[in-house]
Amino acid sequence: MPALDIMRPILTAKGCISQSISVKLRISLGRPTNRCKFHMSLVRKLIALSFVLVCLLAGGAFAQDPQDRQPLSGIAAEQQAAIERLSTQADRLEKDINTNSEDDVRLVEIRLALEDLQADVLKSGVAFRPTLTDINAKLEALGPAPKDGAPAETDEKATQRAALSKEKSQINQVIGQAEDLLVRVNGLVNKIAVIRRDLFANTLMKRYQLRSAIGPDVGEAVGDQVSMLSRNISAWFRFVVRFKLQAALVATFFASLVGVIFYVVGRRVIARLLRKDPTADPDYLSRLSAAFWSTLMPSIALLLFLTLTVALYQSYNVLRGDISDYFIGLLQIFFTCFFVNRLSNAILSPDAPNWRLVKIEAQPARVLIWLTTAAALVVGLDRFTGIVTESLGSPLSVTILKGLFAALLVGALLMAVGSVKPFASEDGVARPWPSWFRATVYVLGTATILSALTGYISLAQFVSRQVVVTGAWVATAYIGLLASRAISDEGAFGSTSAGRWIKQTYDTEDSKLDQLGVLASVLINLLIVFAFLPVILFQWGFQAGDMAVWMRRLGAGFQIGTFTFSPLAILTGIIVFGIGYSVTRWFQSWIDGTVMARGRVDIGVRNSIRTVVGYAGMAIATLIGISAAGLNLSSFALIAGGLSLGIGFGLQNIVSNFVSGLILLVERPFKVGDWVVAGDVSGTVRKISVRATEIETFQRQTVMLPNSQLINNAVGNWTHRNRLGRIEVPVGVIHGTDPEHVYRVLLELARGSQLILKNPEPFVLFTGFSETAMNFEIRVFLADISNGSSVQNELRFGIVRAFLREGIEIAHTPRPTSAPPSASWSLDDDKAEAQFVERIAKRADELVEEKRKPRRRKPDPA
Amino acid sequence: MMKSIAFTLAMALTGGSAMAASAVNLDSETRTIVVTEGGNRQQIDIGPGETVDFCPSGCFVTLPNGDREALTGGETVEISGGAAKIK
Repeated sequence: MPALDIMRPILTAKGCISQSISVKLRISLGRPTNRCKFHMSLVRKLIALSFVLVCLLAGGAFAQDPQDRQPLSGIAAEQQAAIERLSTQADRLEKDINTNSEDDVRLVEIRLALEDLQADVLKSGVAFRPTLTDINAKLEALGPAPKDGAPAETDEKATQRAALSKEKSQINQVIGQAEDLLVRVNGLVNKIAVIRRDLFANTLMKRYQLRSAIGPDVGEAVGDQVSMLSRNISAWFRFVVRFKLQAALVATFFASLVGVIFYVVGRRVIARLLRKDPTADPDYLSRLSAAFWSTLMPSIALLLFLTLTVALYQSYNVLRGDISDYFIGLLQIFFTCFFVNRLSNAILSPDAPNWRLVKIEAQPARVLIWLTTAAALVVGLDRFTGIVTESLGSPLSVTILKGLFAALLVGALLMAVGSVKPFASEDGVARPWPSWFRATVYVLGTATILSALTGYISLAQFVSRQVVVTGAWVATAYIGLLASRAISDEGAFGSTSAGRWIKQTYDTEDSKLDQLGVLASVLINLLIVFAFLPVILFQWGFQAGDMAVWMRRLGAGFQIGTFTFSPLAILTGIIVFGIGYSVTRWFQSWIDGTVMARGRVDIGVRNSIRTVVGYAGMAIATLIGISAAGLNLSSFALIAGGLSLGIGFGLQNIVSNFVSGLILLVERPFKVGDWVVAGDVSGTVRKISVRATEIETFQRQTVMLPNSQLINNAVGNWTHRNRLGRIEVPVGVIHGTDPEHVYRVLLELARGSQLILKNPEPFVLFTGFSETAMNFEIRVFLADISNGSSVQNELRFGIVRAFLREGIEIAHTPRPTSAPPSASWSLDDDKAEAQFVERIAKRADELVEEKRKPRRRKPDPA
Repeated sequence: MMKSIAFTLAMALTGGSAMAASAVNLDSETRTIVVTEGGNRQQIDIGPGETVDFCPSGCFVTLPNGDREALTGGETVEISGGAAKIK
């Protein structure tokens, strides 16, 4: 294994150094008690030093040719400097990790920096690629080095070979450094992961001694803290009044102005939109969306207002460091309480029973709203006092006491929520929550109380905060998800205001609206996931940096086997395709509606160009989309080549139809709106697609005729160049009628119609004689053949009227008169025999009588 | 019909997005490369004619003749006569 052979000396050298260093340390740690020992140690030190030197030289000699120790040149020097710079950065970050091992936020930042560093290290390694390729090509051109015993190569060749090898080994050396650095940086990333995991576990599972908190001095400590806090605040207040009064007033004025604007706009616009009409009977979707928006809109408005206020005060430098923390903390409490209150009001809606999402009685609903808001207040206050105690550097006992207190309160409130009986049975008896909900709430409440009582205050705080804040966010998100599911139901989107607006503006069909509803539902789902997931993850102690790392991972893709899946790349591909598709559509309508309509282009040509542009644009958009998604187009070609035989057999119909479609578009034997007859199908062409043509028969049946049939078989087109056409109305009159008279009457009739062309003029044909009639046919030309039926109608009515007036009788086949019923075989045989005999006798008499008559002589033929 | 189209697409997708680097050994003996990826070094033996995928998101590799290269993923390394060409 040549690779290892080359690496071995380097490794040996390193081992040697470390060995020598350990020797050196051991030696220098020895205590010099007297002069002799001191000499001895000096000698030892010298020996050690020389050993180190020998080792270094030997290692170097094994590793490289002597000439490699010369200073690096060219790209190697450049990149080595870069790698050294990166290495210094890594050193700094490592130091940062050690100093900030308790600070989660900072650790995440360091991790991000380390990941950037990894990319940089790799980049500087890749920078050598062109040079290395070049050197390898040159070495290859020189051919292999002459073996022992073979004739030596020319000096020039040897020098060139040596120079190239030298440069290559220099580069190898620098890449080796980069490789080591990468390994080191990776180690640091892993170290951060371990530190953060431990940090989280330690903070959460830290156990406090409750006895120290509930001692006799705790009251005094709390009093101290309160007075310290009030001193702080009053000092700040005096400072503001004395030095910053104007700024404070301006900031307050602007903040109030913004507040008033938000309030008025909110009252006027949002409140009107979200007004719950107590008399209305809203469906599920309306209730859901009302709940979702009436929670979200005011909360977002309040959040914006609070953020603006803080920003205003900060920009005017009114807030001091600690006061700023208190202020933000107070606003956070306010926001949390407001949000939880809005949410519970939206869901339970105690004043408008029709709008309730959960069918709970009004009185328990009010109690529940109070309980949840109180829980939010307690959690908020706990957080706020946390900020205060941290900034005051309060004694641990105070921190423990307030944590304990808050956790117990939240636990108690949770138990209270569980014990509410919110439902009523038909006879008015209050019924409790479903058992799974009650059990969950009781378990959470008990866990909070128990963990607080056993000293796991952080855990109790964490649980109570999660229950209140995460619970509220999850509930809002869940309502949103339910709404989005309801919106995708059939016909649901059409009943929303957005759906109604789209229907009115664009006159959209119901089925289209349903599709839009599904799209809206997908979009709402995505929005909810992307908006709420980060909020909830923040609650769980994740940092913004974590999410940045995930986004980066998502962008880079993850590997399943050898297949790398990158959602971001695929999303990019889809977006690029979408843009390409809309540009195509826009171009299509522009070229059709503006360019060709103005140019008075024939409608068939317009349609063909429109279709071809559409397909070409679609193909281009697909190709660009695929390459934007990072898929290799050459592999498509490969697969297309490989499967062409299979495709040739399997898809030959499709391909034949496709090609026929193209021919139809170019040749244009018919256009949209033409009346065509193809085989048994006769009707109007509605759409010419690339695979099939859509024909609507006169019975309004839509027939999809594959294009190959339209190309391979005869197709009749009634309206190809013009809409001129001839129709015939046959009619028969009885023998004995004057045909000249009939001819005149019919011709007059044909000439009298408005829709019939005068030129070519109408013509009446005496088509022939039949057994019962003389047959005529009126042949007339129409400017528009599609009026054929109405003209035929008009003519036939006219014929009947005219014939009645003129006394002409229309021939009709005489109805066959029914034959007299033949004597059926009688059941009475004797009687039948008697009758038969009688009939025979009568017949014989008649014959005799006939013979008696004198026979008339035939006239002489001459 | 739809099946064949879906199959074609699936093949194209899998063929199209193999982003990892791959190494192919054109020699008649087994070659070893050393790959440093993430925090670990690992030796990969490639039999004659064999193709190996590695390094989905950047790595350093030491080739059989001692050359070192940095790869970003997506490259193809051809080993012949102990030397390697990167495409």
